[in-house]
Amino acid sequence: MENDKKPNNVVDDEMEKWDINLSIDVGEEWSNYRDDEVMQQHNAIQAVEAGKLPYVGDKEPLSALAAEYQSGSPVLLEKIKVLGQNYAAIRRTRGDGNCFFRCFMFSYLEHIMESQDKTEVDRIKENVEQCKKTLQGLGYADFTFEDFFTLFLDQVNDVLQGNETSISHDELVSRSRDQSVSDYVVMFFRFVTSGEIRRRSEFFEPFIMGLSNTTVEKFCKASVEPMGEESDHVHITALSDTLGVPIRVMYLDRSSSDSGTVSINHHDFIPAISDPPVATNSDSVSVVEPFITLLYRPGHYDILYPK
Amino acid sequence: MLDLSRVQKELMDCNRDKDISGISVELRGDDLSRLFGTISGPIATPYEGGTFRIDIHLTDEYPFEPPKMQFMTKVWHPNISSQNGAICLDILKDQWSPALTIKTALLSLQALLSAPEPDDPQDAVVAQQYLRDYPTFVGTARYWTETFAKRASVGIEEKVQKLVEMGFPEDLVRKSLDKVGGDENMALEKLCSG
Repeated sequence: MENDKKPNNVVDDEMEKWDINLSIDVGEEWSNYRDDEVMQQHNAIQAVEAGKLPYVGDKEPLSALAAEYQSGSPVLLEKIKVLGQNYAAIRRTRGDGNCFFRCFMFSYLEHIMESQDKTEVDRIKENVEQCKKTLQGLGYADFTFEDFFTLFLDQVNDVLQGNETSISHDELVSRSRDQSVSDYVVMFFRFVTSGEIRRRSEFFEPFIMGLSNTTVEKFCKASVEPMGEESDHVHITALSDTLGVPIRVMYLDRSSSDSGTVSINHHDFIPAISDPPVATNSDSVSVVEPFITLLYRPGHYDILYPK
Repeated sequence: MLDLSRVQKELMDCNRDKDISGISVELRGDDLSRLFGTISGPIATPYEGGTFRIDIHLTDEYPFEPPKMQFMTKVWHPNISSQNGAICLDILKDQWSPALTIKTALLSLQALLSAPEPDDPQDAVVAQQYLRDYPTFVGTARYWTETFAKRASVGIEEKVQKLVEMGFPEDLVRKSLDKVGGDENMALEKLCSG
């Protein structure tokens, strides 16, 4: 299911759903079909996917990406070459609709592990506390989200070294592949993303209308909160804003510029800062450099490592 | 592993305002994964005055997997199987989210009773009737409510207990009672005839 054969993973997902429906219709009574049977089929498909790639894969050299397109589009091969000037490695994630959130989880925790940036940890904890208040204000019962919040904060604490519960990089990799950690963290992100979109519904409404012609409320219920729903600009903007973490996305697609030169489009999601820093120097107009870089191919996100 | 503490909190939360919401959840036994819910039929619908019981099964993956819900009370509705009570509702399938709860799911079922979606049916026969002959649909749905949702709601647990005390296994008792719409004598007859 890689993009060299099919242009769009979204299309693949659609086709899978279509297959399921098809097999139900053939020669069976409607009323004999039960939700759990449909779910089982869905789970079976996911299990096949799981066999191909863990939630978060190993770090691979960028040449592994080029290898995927050996007999594919020359434009893409050229672009990967350009990408190789600044990026050294890729870490793939499973295409199960949660890839953006899993990329973000791993990249963020790995960054904290490597930088041991306690200031950043304190900062994000404050944001998480705000997110909690946002959800409470929106009428979410505490018990629906508290476990997910706790588990995320546990991971942030555990990647800081020198504590009893500190973990190694290997353990971080294995946790990110462990459903009981990985899915909880994904769900934490889905909660805070949904909370941010609802809190600033006036801001997000036009984007959501353009994307899916639906209300903010319905969008959050149908496209943010359920597991496996893919992320778009709206999700990324909201997550980046609410947690205050900048994200860079490199776009690898077949588009080419008119001038004939090959370049790669990218977009930096820079959080809108609501509380400006207390101490400001006159020359503090610093450019925010995202420490999370993701590679986007239509319908899917992976993690990129700069040189 | 099923998140037991969450389920306990959900039960408490759900039953706190059951008089207002018309929705309650009870344990079937000692096991937190087997529950049954009760919803009252919405006013100004053919289900008004009825009490509908819903079998709820929570898998180990709950709350990541939706609760499995099925009507125990027979009901005539386009999105509910008239044969086995299976429900066609998006939030019980791919639109489920851990942000939802048993209570919100039951509230959605109550809303579904108010607003059937015949274009996405579970029971094709009922859906056809709903679309082509609405007055007959309303009549049938009301008759089913009178027949199954009023009688069956009277102390079903006491009937179960009585029959279990006679020496029949509980799941068999429940099945038999369910099949005959809650009539104790008919259920006993069924159980005796094997």
